[in-house]
Amino acid sequence: MRQVLSNFLIEQAATIEDFVVLSGDHGYALFDGLRSESPSKFINVGVCEQAMIGYAAGLSKNGFKVVVYGLSAFLPTRVFEFIKMDICYDHLPVIMLGDGAGLVYNTLGASHQCAEDISMLRSLANLDIYSPADKFEMDLCLKAAANSRNASYIRIGKSDKPSIHKGPQDVDMTRGFSKVNSSKSSVCFIATGSMVSTALEVSKDIDALVISLFSLSTFDRHELLTILGSAKTVVTLEEHSVNGGIGSIVAEMVAESAIVSSRLLRIGINNRFTESCGSYDYAILEHKLDVGSVKTRILSFLES
Amino acid sequence: MKDKTRIDPILMRKTILKMAYSGSSVHIGCAFSLVELVAVLYSKFIRIDKDNLKSNDRDILALSKGHGVMACYAALFQKGIVSSEEIESYFQDGSKLKGLSSVHCPGIEVSGGSLGHGITVATGIALADKLRGSRTRNVFVIVGDGEINEGSAWECFLFAAHHSLRNLVVIVDANSYQAMGRSEDVLNLEPLKAKFEAFGFECCEVDGHSESSIEETLNFLLSSKLQTPKALVARTVKGKGISFMESNNVWHYSRLDKETLERSLSELEP
Repeated sequence: MRQVLSNFLIEQAATIEDFVVLSGDHGYALFDGLRSESPSKFINVGVCEQAMIGYAAGLSKNGFKVVVYGLSAFLPTRVFEFIKMDICYDHLPVIMLGDGAGLVYNTLGASHQCAEDISMLRSLANLDIYSPADKFEMDLCLKAAANSRNASYIRIGKSDKPSIHKGPQDVDMTRGFSKVNSSKSSVCFIATGSMVSTALEVSKDIDALVISLFSLSTFDRHELLTILGSAKTVVTLEEHSVNGGIGSIVAEMVAESAIVSSRLLRIGINNRFTESCGSYDYAILEHKLDVGSVKTRILSFLES
Repeated sequence: MKDKTRIDPILMRKTILKMAYSGSSVHIGCAFSLVELVAVLYSKFIRIDKDNLKSNDRDILALSKGHGVMACYAALFQKGIVSSEEIESYFQDGSKLKGLSSVHCPGIEVSGGSLGHGITVATGIALADKLRGSRTRNVFVIVGDGEINEGSAWECFLFAAHHSLRNLVVIVDANSYQAMGRSEDVLNLEPLKAKFEAFGFECCEVDGHSESSIEETLNFLLSSKLQTPKALVARTVKGKGISFMESNNVWHYSRLDKETLERSLSELEP
């Protein structure tokens, strides 16, 4: 995923004259390629994320194509209001990359974990949110963001998991979500980002249609409702708070729909901070987002 | 192509009073302190085409201190960019001009209602000019002394100096007051000029109500050969022009009634 991102930045820098990437002193190795190919198109603005969003807005107003990079714990969490007023209110097509979303930086503690980015940003106008699960989704989300009239936020979570899709042809960018298996089960898992691979793993034991939802603002609601309409049980899975993320998106759709009467189970981070220090896998376990815990929860839900 | 039409500060103050009275709006004192600054900028320094407000070579006047926006409306009215209907319908239901600077109002370049924002956007605009190698226009940004309590402003000052944004001119409307009191009592900013210089700006201080001094000092700064950003600390009086409003902070929040309107207007007669 990170290589795809690096390649995208290099390619954009090579083809767009007025193009610039801003970082708030983060992402060292990620920008090696860009910095060596187009050194003038990368600016480390220093440790000042809020001002960086304003600079991005000013550059964009002045005709630049701008990509802003930060850790999701800071971009958007720390700088939300700058995104609201300087980018979204002015309807500027700035691309924002939020890295390390979810529990990626577990050893560093609560400051660097991020379970609230989707929730916060969903309430902003003129902004598209993407949450890719693998390199193919990442590539197409970046391209969609580059062509959008809106601002974009791309959530980059655990990025070294194996690919979900065989190739770009499996990613349905028009719909904003993809079926990642062909199950006819009446159980449907809707997952995003790192949790798509978890959902797929669980579906080996609990037969379920698995959907990767990666375009969280602009997906084809009608088509997803049709799929939900034939499901008896829907489970959402995300490395994000259950409040405001894809669990909420799907819950709202189900509640507002006359044709869907599915039961819904929302699996995610349950409005709590991580307690202990430890590896990423340990944090996933603590939040019961590992394959075993997820399986147990779904089985007990199905039996209830 | 400089537009030499003089913007009249007295007329601006009358327009502001009419807007504030008919719209029953606050922030009169904040607007009055920057009247001469805005008047001189629009008279002498801002090249702007009223038929093409977004023209790429226009000079930028970014009002970061959004609370003084009535001063900009009043100047833009004299320039024919804001209409008399828009002035007269201030704060009426469905009207266009908002109580704090907003990019969606004609001639307004940044949204300044949330303090410490406009300065960041203006810095980005100046950065784009530098990256493009085309610094033929100037980016003026007006901040309030109260406003630069905000850390984001100081982030910009560091950044602008580090990147030699020499076409960025930060103008501080130093009226010595902020919403709840004197700046020196709330959070002392002085010595402002020394601070700007320590940050790497070329900085001058000026009487912010003397049109000739403002013009002369801005010309001095703009003709500088230094590659640094510029700062102008304009010493102003909150509520300037109306005796009972001057340095009387209740006019940050007070509204005009018929009597105070008439008294104010009569003070502006020669």
